[in-house]
Amino acid sequence: MKIQSIKYLTREGFRNVWVNRLMSVASVGVLVACMVLIGFAILLTQNVNVYMSNLEQQNVVMVYFNDENSVIYQNASKLTTTDTSSDKSSSSSSSSSSSSNSSKNTSSGSEDEAPKIPESAYLIHNEEEAKAVCAEIEKIGNVESVEFISKEDALKNAKETSLSDMAGAFEILDEEGGNPMSHGARVTLKSMEIFEHTIKDIEKTEGVHTVVSHAELAKTIADIKSGISMICFWIIGILGIIALVIVSNTIRVTMYNRKLEISIMKAVGATDAFIRLPFVIEGIVLGLVSAILSEGILYFCYRVAADSMGDSFTLSVPFGSAALLLFGIFAAIGVVAGALGSMFMISKYLKKEGSEFKAL
Amino acid sequence: METQMFEKAFGAMDESESPIIVPKNNAKPIIEFRGVSKTYATGTHALNDVNIQIHPGEFVFVVGASGAGKSTFMKLIMREEKANAGEVIVNGYNLTELPRKQVPMLRRTMGIVFQDFRLIPTMDVFDNVAFAMHVVGEKPNVIRREVAKALSQVGLGHKARSKPAELSGGEQQRVGLARALINKPTLLIADEPTGNVDPNMSYEIVEMLSRINKAGTTVLMVTHEHNLVRDFHHRVIMLEGGKIVADNAEGTI
Repeated sequence: MKIQSIKYLTREGFRNVWVNRLMSVASVGVLVACMVLIGFAILLTQNVNVYMSNLEQQNVVMVYFNDENSVIYQNASKLTTTDTSSDKSSSSSSSSSSSSNSSKNTSSGSEDEAPKIPESAYLIHNEEEAKAVCAEIEKIGNVESVEFISKEDALKNAKETSLSDMAGAFEILDEEGGNPMSHGARVTLKSMEIFEHTIKDIEKTEGVHTVVSHAELAKTIADIKSGISMICFWIIGILGIIALVIVSNTIRVTMYNRKLEISIMKAVGATDAFIRLPFVIEGIVLGLVSAILSEGILYFCYRVAADSMGDSFTLSVPFGSAALLLFGIFAAIGVVAGALGSMFMISKYLKKEGSEFKAL
Repeated sequence: METQMFEKAFGAMDESESPIIVPKNNAKPIIEFRGVSKTYATGTHALNDVNIQIHPGEFVFVVGASGAGKSTFMKLIMREEKANAGEVIVNGYNLTELPRKQVPMLRRTMGIVFQDFRLIPTMDVFDNVAFAMHVVGEKPNVIRREVAKALSQVGLGHKARSKPAELSGGEQQRVGLARALINKPTLLIADEPTGNVDPNMSYEIVEMLSRINKAGTTVLMVTHEHNLVRDFHHRVIMLEGGKIVADNAEGTI
């Protein structure tokens, strides 16, 4: 095809958008509706992911080390395990949990039986040894950070956060036999995906007696996250298919309305490419216009939604950070739907000749 | 029945006269049908063993009743249809073997005028004519010059920026004629060009076609209007039941 033909056909493509403005508005309207819905689904997925990731980051596991208290104060653990609502109190409760069970224990926040310590178990005698265990735990891949909690801090926290009668019990134990707590650590995990695997790794570390985790919560968060991601994936997929079907139909109507034009082009000796190009350019232009409009509408709606939400819940993803991705997706949908839709739909008409157009 | 009407209009056909082609010159035929038959998928036999030659520079009327095979005859020439049997050769292209991709090249060698004008309603008169030149990749300055000239020749220079809907039937047909001639085709096919215009304009259009023919373009015109055939003394081919039943060089049979 000659350069002047390409120039002419490109101009014609743009001109056709205006000349057939009613159909252009219809096509853009359909595309914008689909794109905005897809955009909402994407933003929802992103927000849920960020929100869940934040929850994940807040999730920590408490680790308690083997020491003489793990053995002596078994009963004290039973006394305090009911209060697991805060990490601090679970620290104190578990630190005092001890029995003569042979294996290490993983608690889901409320352990009934404290494990026994085998005679061969590695016992922590002082802070330095406890910190060395912390350093070992920190080496585990999925561990984000390890915060050492000394037995003194644990007792102080227990006294401050326990109910008055429980605080009294701690006082008595403290007076009778010294600090009943064990050294421990607050371990923050990077990802919940390999939660159970990481817990097992921590348990295997020498000197670790008990790992108290919120396994149920972790599983729930992971389930919610993957569930919402899956729902949004299907929403995006179904809307994408609906968009293509509707756009194909719109193009079909456009082609039908312009079958006379196509038949004339053929009669004067236009090649298939010559006939097709303006329609493809028109499709691309409409697709891009739709993408720009969709981005604008989504930005407006997102801002309104963000403004109308209370302080208790906010949109975690700023629109600016998703804007480029959204425009890329919209432009891709618009260009692919417009160009390929036009290209395929016109093929049907290119095979027709003269009077066959009248029969369509 | 059509034959009787035809004979009444143009005179009786001598039984001894066979429908033979009368070449104007010794040049190779611009259109040649060799034993051409066409049957549609519906089972309709549109043409049956048609043999004919039309030479460069001829003006030929094609007449016949509805269903006689005129439309199929024209469609085969424009390669809108393919023959089931025989060979159709137009402007040197053997249409029986012509690949689909080559059809636009064939059509660029001919100009086509339609009964329903077939103008693009969203384009003005100038662009409708210019369109045919854009198809062949002509330069913009050449297009501007030639279209202006062609519109002047059909008397529509002053309506270049009008939309087809703003023109009368006769004017629209003259735009169609300008478009058909803009690429200087060797063959002009006019499918009932006077069907949608008033009688005076019909004469004007055929006069215009005759002038074009005198300038060297071969003209093939389908018509129902016997008075035009009688008044303009050109070769007449008559079709009936898918066969050529009459072929006379000077408009009389």
